[in-house]
Amino acid sequence: MELRRRLLRTAVSRPGVLLAVSPGTTRERLAVEAELVRRGWPCVSAPAEADLLVVLGGHHAEESDGDAGSDWAANLWHAIPAPKARVPVRDAGQVAEALDRGLAELRRGEPPQEPHQEDDAHSHRGEHGEHGDHQHGDHGQHEQHGDHGDHGDHGHNDNSATHEGHEPGPHEGHNGHVDHDGEDRGHEGHNGGHSGDDANSGHDVHSGDDGHSGHHMHNGDDTHSGHHMPGNGDTHGGHDGHAGHDMHGAHGGHAGHDMGVVAGLPMADRADDRDGLRLDRLHVPLGPALADWPAGLILRVALQGDIVQQVSAEAEGSASPYPPFWDEPWLRALSGERVSHGEAARRLCAAHLDSLGRFFAVTGWTDMAARFRHVRDRALAGADAAELRGLLRPLIRRAERSRTLRWLTAGLGPLTAEHARHLGVTGPALVADGDVHARMRVWLGAAWRGADECDDTEALDTAQVIGPRGRVDGPVPASLALLDALPGLLEGAEFAGARIIVASLDPDLDELAHVPAVGMAHG
Amino acid sequence: MADSAPLWAVFVLPVLLLVVALVTAGFDAVLTAGARGGRAGSVREAAVRAADPAREVLRQLVQQPRRTRASDVALARIGAALLPVAAMLAAVVLPLGFRSVSDLPEGIVWFNAMEALAWAAVWLAGWGPNSTLSLIGGYRFLAQGLAYELPHMLAITTAALGAESLRVGQVVDAQDGLWFALWMPAAFGIYLLSAMAMAFWGPFDQPAGRDVAGGAAAELSGADRVLFLGGRWLLLVVAAAFSVPLFLGGGYGPWLPGWLWTVLKTGAVLAFLVWVRRRVPTVRMERYVELGWVVLTPLAIVQALVVAVVVLNR
Repeated sequence: MELRRRLLRTAVSRPGVLLAVSPGTTRERLAVEAELVRRGWPCVSAPAEADLLVVLGGHHAEESDGDAGSDWAANLWHAIPAPKARVPVRDAGQVAEALDRGLAELRRGEPPQEPHQEDDAHSHRGEHGEHGDHQHGDHGQHEQHGDHGDHGDHGHNDNSATHEGHEPGPHEGHNGHVDHDGEDRGHEGHNGGHSGDDANSGHDVHSGDDGHSGHHMHNGDDTHSGHHMPGNGDTHGGHDGHAGHDMHGAHGGHAGHDMGVVAGLPMADRADDRDGLRLDRLHVPLGPALADWPAGLILRVALQGDIVQQVSAEAEGSASPYPPFWDEPWLRALSGERVSHGEAARRLCAAHLDSLGRFFAVTGWTDMAARFRHVRDRALAGADAAELRGLLRPLIRRAERSRTLRWLTAGLGPLTAEHARHLGVTGPALVADGDVHARMRVWLGAAWRGADECDDTEALDTAQVIGPRGRVDGPVPASLALLDALPGLLEGAEFAGARIIVASLDPDLDELAHVPAVGMAHG
Repeated sequence: MADSAPLWAVFVLPVLLLVVALVTAGFDAVLTAGARGGRAGSVREAAVRAADPAREVLRQLVQQPRRTRASDVALARIGAALLPVAAMLAAVVLPLGFRSVSDLPEGIVWFNAMEALAWAAVWLAGWGPNSTLSLIGGYRFLAQGLAYELPHMLAITTAALGAESLRVGQVVDAQDGLWFALWMPAAFGIYLLSAMAMAFWGPFDQPAGRDVAGGAAAELSGADRVLFLGGRWLLLVVAAAFSVPLFLGGGYGPWLPGWLWTVLKTGAVLAFLVWVRRRVPTVRMERYVELGWVVLTPLAIVQALVVAVVVLNR
């Protein structure tokens, strides 16, 4: 027994960490990433390989356990095999303590921990009375859903107590939980085994609906999400519900339409492919819990094989009272505060390095991704211009000279300046006037200039307030234009290409999640 | 001439392969950590980083296996377990120095057949969990297989052609004077590319890429995951090690004993592959298929033709 315990302790001494990132938590995410590197803990990309779930999003974490808002995070949690632990990170300053707490929890071993967690999860479910009724009732669900489909466009008139009934997301998630609980009480020791089921029992329910309600539901869903398009300040928790089954987009096939249901999951439907062949088609949500993915972005895609056929982009809408981290210096300057030019340059540099890190991670150049992220951490830690230049010069040269990279990214996601302007894009994507490779090069150049100027102490000129994603003082957030550009660029791309295109635009949903004071009470 | 090894070699082989795989993975981990967090400050820190893969194995082993809804558990498990088995079986014809566990008369065909089991393994592991991302991973490996397998087979056929034998021992003996790598460089280069592709590793890691959250491995946890990802490292080690008897003169070399030469050469090839991984991004399927069929296959055919002409006029 002693040996077993010690083995377990050693095994979890460097837990695999999965991040659940919501919009508005960039500062916390950066702090966690830097701390993980310091500790040498791996940052994993799927729940299957995780031990520790770090839920970012402090400001709404108070109600998050009971709120539909963190439903996707809850699903993520249930998809992690035991032993596991979960910690919220509410503040960038408390990252180290939070991780320590997670480690301690893991080391204690799961038996005393689990029941507590489950109870927790269960009690909040009680608050949403409806869920209890529908635990096993696919038909009940179906009716609800039919409703939702038909009244797809009544959107969120419903208040937060009842809106759950109309949302596909929360339902799935919660049903998942309920099932899970039931099973768990039966055999305590097998949490891990069931947690996988869990994540999917959500789909089960969902698919039940689909099978019955056919296309209506999907339409309703779409319309609905249309309402939730970012920029509407009133994103109440229900919106997050969408994310419920998104997980990391893995358990697909749950939006099939009239093809029938197998083992509670829908079959793929069929549609013509680009050569006119009738092939299977899956409806899959991507995000918000994918690694190296813009926080809070959800893409609903129709996949044929791995070709993206249709896309609609939406934002997981937890509102954040904090200004977007990457735009902060400019926003402060606009509000009249004195901000040095160097500070803004440093933030711009770090923002582009962060985007570049993602871009290289998605193109599969993990070494470059790691190096760019290292420089990003240094920049945020306040390294001086000379050091940053020294770190960046070889990286930029290598990225620019890589013929393989050019060969692999050339022609992907072309966005002409004309079209970009039409869409309202104001940032690097407009300057680049080209494919993903051109956008990468613009980032490289801008990051270099930022590093160069980051010790500048002059006051920031508020006449030109171009942040990392574009104009900060525009009528709509710069990232909204990037979101609008996404569907057009993604349709017809292969899955891998689609991910690279998303990474090359890297919309910052913090900009959309930022709801000044008024919206706060709501979300 | 390669001799057959005594029976106990059967038990030594897996251990040896595991050790080499762990050392390679450790080396890789040190470089990876160095890129992310800056160079290791001390030898001790480097050693801690090098132990990462071993710790990772332990971490995964204590995790419970999980299932996804409507998954085909048997298929996924078979897929995960098949990968290390395929690597081990392929390694049977690997000579250490001049001795292999079994120097089959058609050893090269055996190697190729065993290594092709990886196709089944990755596809099954990708299909089994009934999950989109892992299915995409499985698809990707099939496309990758279409791209690499043909040039790969032509490359190893070229080596066999040069030695006029399919017996690995005789291929080594044919390189007593001149290494095949030197007079059939294209075949050697293609072989190294396909070694990485068959282990879906490095620039060819799309089937298990991070952009699909681990692809074929996305839903595997616990022992399944260890088997699958460990099997991938084993496959890489075996594929790299097989380039030594095929192209790099096997155990031949001055002063040192044959087995040491084999180990050194294998180490050099692995170090090269680990370095290459850092220099290039992942090659996406659609581009690699194009490269494979438009450039590599014709190149491999020309190389085989040149070697055939030389052999006929010898």
